[in-house]
Formats: sequence, structure tokens, C-alpha cells
Amino acid sequence: MRLPLLFSMLLAASLQVTAVPVAAGTAAPENAQVYFIWPHDGTVINGGKFWVRMGLRNMGVAPKGTDVPHTGHHHLLIDTDLPSLKEPIPNDRNHLHFGAGETEARIELPPGKHTLQLLLGDKDHMPNDPPVMSKKITITVK
Amino acid sequence: MRNPFSAVALALALLFTAAPAGSTDAPANAYCYIGWPTDGTVVAAGKPFRVWFGLRNMGVAPKGVAVKNTGHHHLLIDADVPPAGQEIPSDRNHLHFGAGETETMLELPPGKHTLQLVMGDDKHVVHSPPVISKKITITVR
Repeated sequence: MRLPLLFSMLLAASLQVTAVPVAAGTAAPENAQVYFIWPHDGTVINGGKFWVRMGLRNMGVAPKGTDVPHTGHHHLLIDTDLPSLKEPIPNDRNHLHFGAGETEARIELPPGKHTLQLLLGDKDHMPNDPPVMSKKITITVK
Repeated sequence: MRNPFSAVALALALLFTAAPAGSTDAPANAYCYIGWPTDGTVVAAGKPFRVWFGLRNMGVAPKGVAVKNTGHHHLLIDADVPPAGQEIPSDRNHLHFGAGETETMLELPPGKHTLQLVMGDDKHVVHSPPVISKKITITVR
């Protein structure tokens, strides 16, 4: 029994060692806040095209690849839950990246209810530490 | 214009004067605007108010970051826009947002004030063409 115990201790130790270098996003100020300037929760939009205005407080916008403290770039999550906050934000139809430092986006959505949420990502599209995310809002396209 | 060479020389001279040295290009359709307050807004004296900066067809980047089609916001208070290719002064009338900020809190003395946004490049130089908002007038009382 001693050998398996030693083995499992060694295994645990090696796991700990490999678990240490977890990728962490760029530091964000504690009071940083990302929010929708427009639309608001419950907004009804006639026609599927609209501009989303992305607001950020106590922090700055920087394009992807830019290593400046207390900055990040906007990501718009459409009809999806928050992705893992320990991995780069996916890049697909439900996770739009604004790596050119955009603060507004022209979006087109089919009729129906949709959820929108903003999540800031750092130079490598990793959520910041602590993560900076907006409230998830629901809009209706008519 | 008999001499075709002088025509070319003139065209070249015009080209060089039209594009000031040292200015970064901005997309022709880029524009910035003051999201709030709007022209004619009256705000209460002694109470800071939030100004948010709108930017379309262009991105925000902090000072010192040279990425194509980006710049950072400068808020002009009771001041005129410097010409394209010129560095924007940094003083009480020319606020720089070199950390990539897209909004700010502002407090102004009672009276009428003009506000205007202008984008500056990585070195605080006005783009070519300049990306400038409408100049608005607000009243503090």
C-alpha cells in the first residue's frame, strides 16, 4: 500500500505543478465596467439592422495585440452564455470580436428575441482579470 | 500650361501640400461625435456630468499604439480644432484620453461652453482627413 500512496502523492504533486501556470487575462481595475449604451434591456427594434454602442468605464480600449495595462477590447455575445473565463473568447457568429478597437457595431439579427452581452478581452482575447462583463440584455427584433 | 513637366511638378506640389507631413490616414467615412451631452444641453453647476464619445468606422487605441485606422479621443473645451498634421495641445482646454477611454466625467464653471471631439493618432496628431465632431454648446447653471 505504501507504493501506491507514494505514487499518488507524486501524481498529485506533478498535477499541482502543471496546474500552476494557468493563463490569466490582463489585469483590469476593480471598478471597471462595460455596458450597453444602446440598445437597452427590452428594446424592440423594427427591422433587423441596428448599431450597438458599447460603453466602458474606468478602463480603456485597445486593439488586439496591444499590451497596455488596464485596456481591452469589446466582444459581443449574441444568444449565448458566458464562455470560459480562463480561455480565449471563441470567435464565431455568437461571439463577435472587435479587435480593431471599435466601440460601435452594425449588427443584423433575424426577427425574434435575442440576448446580448458584452465581455471585454485582452490582447490575446482572454477575459481580463477580474473579468469585465455587462449585464445580459434581451431585445426583440420585429 | 505648355510644359508638361511643370504640370507634373504642380500636381506633385499640390499632392504634398494636401497631405501634411506626419499625419496618419483615417478612413474617409470615419466620424466621431459626442453621444452626450447634446447641443443645447443645460447641466447643473457644481455637479460633474458624464460625456461619452462616439466613433464610427474607426477604432480606439491608446497613445503610442500605431494600429491602422485607430486613434484616441481628445475633448476640446472652449477651443478650436488644430489643423490636420498638427499635434493637439495638452492643457485644460484640450483633454487627452491616451489610455483609450471612451467616456469621462467633466465639471465646468457656470456659463456657456463649447465641446468638440477630435481624434489624434499615436502621437496626438490630427488625422488626415481630420476626424472631428460637430462643435456643441452647453450651458452650466
